[in-house]
Amino acid sequence: MMRRFFRSRGVRKLVRDRLAMVALGVISIYLALFFMMWCGFLVEKEETFERVGANTEVGFFEEPTIEQRLLYLEFYLDNLYSAADSRTPEASLAAIDLYGRLPTLTDPDAVIERIDPLWEVYDELVELYEDDAFSDDPESLPRLEELEAEAATLYTEPEGLMGRLALALGTDRQGRSIFLRALYSIKIAVQIGLVCALISVAIGTILGGAAAFFGGVVDHVIVWLYSTFSAIPYIVLLMVLAAMFLGSAFEGTLVPVYTAFCMTFWIAPCRVIRGEVMKLRELEYVQAATAVGFGRGRILLKHIIPNTTHLMFINFSLLFIGAIKAEVILSFLNLGVKNEPSWGVMIKQATQEVISGFFWQIGAATVFMFVLVLAFNVLSDALQDAFDPKHV
Amino acid sequence: MALLEVHDLVKHFPVRGGLLNRVVGRVHAVNGVSFSVERGDILGIVGESGCGKSTLGKCVIRLIEPTGGSLTYDGEELFDLRHDELMPFRRKMQIIFQDPYSSLNPRLTVKALLKEVLAFHRIVPREDLDARIMELIAQVGLRPEAADKFPHEFSGGQRQRIGIARALALEPEFIIADEPVSALDVSIQAQVLNLMMDLKRDLGLTLLFISHDLKVIEHFCDCVVVMYLGFIVEELSCDELHERALHPYTKALLGANPVNDPDDARDLTVLQGDVPSPYDLPKGCPFASRCPVVEDRCREEMPPLEEKKDGQRVACFVVE
Repeated sequence: MMRRFFRSRGVRKLVRDRLAMVALGVISIYLALFFMMWCGFLVEKEETFERVGANTEVGFFEEPTIEQRLLYLEFYLDNLYSAADSRTPEASLAAIDLYGRLPTLTDPDAVIERIDPLWEVYDELVELYEDDAFSDDPESLPRLEELEAEAATLYTEPEGLMGRLALALGTDRQGRSIFLRALYSIKIAVQIGLVCALISVAIGTILGGAAAFFGGVVDHVIVWLYSTFSAIPYIVLLMVLAAMFLGSAFEGTLVPVYTAFCMTFWIAPCRVIRGEVMKLRELEYVQAATAVGFGRGRILLKHIIPNTTHLMFINFSLLFIGAIKAEVILSFLNLGVKNEPSWGVMIKQATQEVISGFFWQIGAATVFMFVLVLAFNVLSDALQDAFDPKHV
Repeated sequence: MALLEVHDLVKHFPVRGGLLNRVVGRVHAVNGVSFSVERGDILGIVGESGCGKSTLGKCVIRLIEPTGGSLTYDGEELFDLRHDELMPFRRKMQIIFQDPYSSLNPRLTVKALLKEVLAFHRIVPREDLDARIMELIAQVGLRPEAADKFPHEFSGGQRQRIGIARALALEPEFIIADEPVSALDVSIQAQVLNLMMDLKRDLGLTLLFISHDLKVIEHFCDCVVVMYLGFIVEELSCDELHERALHPYTKALLGANPVNDPDDARDLTVLQGDVPSPYDLPKGCPFASRCPVVEDRCREEMPPLEEKKDGQRVACFVVE
């Protein structure tokens, strides 16, 4: 079966399409990341809520301004100092963990002794900056750099690849890593896409196939059902379904999102597959199967449904990205993903940052989503070309 | 006794319309057709497009449910049976279709296709399946490599051979060939016809051969039934068809065939007018509107199908 699939004309055609192969590569990377996170590697859910640095740190290629550098310094110094100065200094110091970056000094007195002179330098630099005299003094920039180097020695080096990448795309307003959140959102997005697309295509195929093949009352009921569903504006239906789960046991899980999407998404594959099956069941090979004496179930499952697989593929890839995009809208309206980062949640939170000119969060979420959606669009186009029997 | 006897077979397709989807009319595809086929014979059914010949063929093996009439096969009435009771007859009666492209499931290799049919009816023991498949493939003149190929890898003629192999897999005694060569090139037509002729002789088949081409019928069949608008207008033996033909429609069909002789300046009777709509049948003879020898009586009364001379039945008031 597999061997035959890989030898088939459709697959050979798909492999020749270079753009489709690039898209397939991109999707494979996303899927690989999804599986790794699903198995508990790379990023755990809790880590996406941890503070990894100062608030709204900028990402890898943007040079922070003097003001931002002073703000970061204040955070890193104050983080240690106030812990050492608190009522339970040992415990507070031990609790400091910026995603693997720990204090190098564990003795509270030593910390205070070490940081006190740094505060003095810091205060002088802040005063200079506030008087707009920072650039007048040629000494001030080297002093700032020296201070930053000093502050850096107060923390250990980050551990591992994830630790080094945690600040690559900056931090949000709560000092959480944008990179880790965007990465973890792949898991949520692929999970929603896979579950919703699979269930919707399955429902659509079963109902569409049954409607067309058995006709009569079955057909009437199913057509009525999807006509009714498609008459309701889709986003309103999504909102109502998602809102229905507020206060239920499933609130805060992904179940409301799955339900809302599956109830609206099955219509498209159902309609297409109904049309195709109506065409196929009149073909002579179906009549030949009847003449041989095969039962109706066998004819439907073995001779008709397998000839609609190209439609299932195409609908699956369309619904996969449809679900991911719809998740963003729902999350933006506060009806989507709860208690977990997702691209929609990130974009929603980023609206406040964008006003103050900070684009890293919205940028990261958008780019991560854009690449996946684009790859899937390219691939579904190529799938259509390759597997539609009407294309030569 | 004849192997297959059809009495007064009627098939009407209801036409639905209006808000409540009521039956607003009927298309009269087949209107009371009776004929019989002797064991070992080839009966041709000829007529122009839309005359109900394919519907008739499909009614005979109940791919289309007939509206009325009766059919006895080997003495057993088939139209009264439920679909599950038809199973023994499914083995005995098979069909070959017109379009070699839509008559094969594009997802099944030749081997898979034949295996499914053979295994379903348990024609041969499991261990002999492969051998039987190869035998069938050889029987219809395909190369052994064909077994693992998909339908799209074959030409029209080869596909038609696969269709024949599928029909033969059940070892039937009666085959309905529904325009089996109409979709093929002339050169391929001859090959497929010869193949069918050989198989008929070797396997002792009885055939119902549906075609719109009188030349093919004349060459291939023992007897021919000429249909027009769902009625049989003439039934005659295929020997010396040109001399025997009596009904004006049969003559017109024969005259429409070109002859390989430039000096043959025949008096062509080209039919004028259109076939009446099967939705709204005329009162008298169905052919009256186009008949060159029409009389007043023809428009009022339906001529009965009567035996004129040895076994030849004609439905016409005018000819003798």
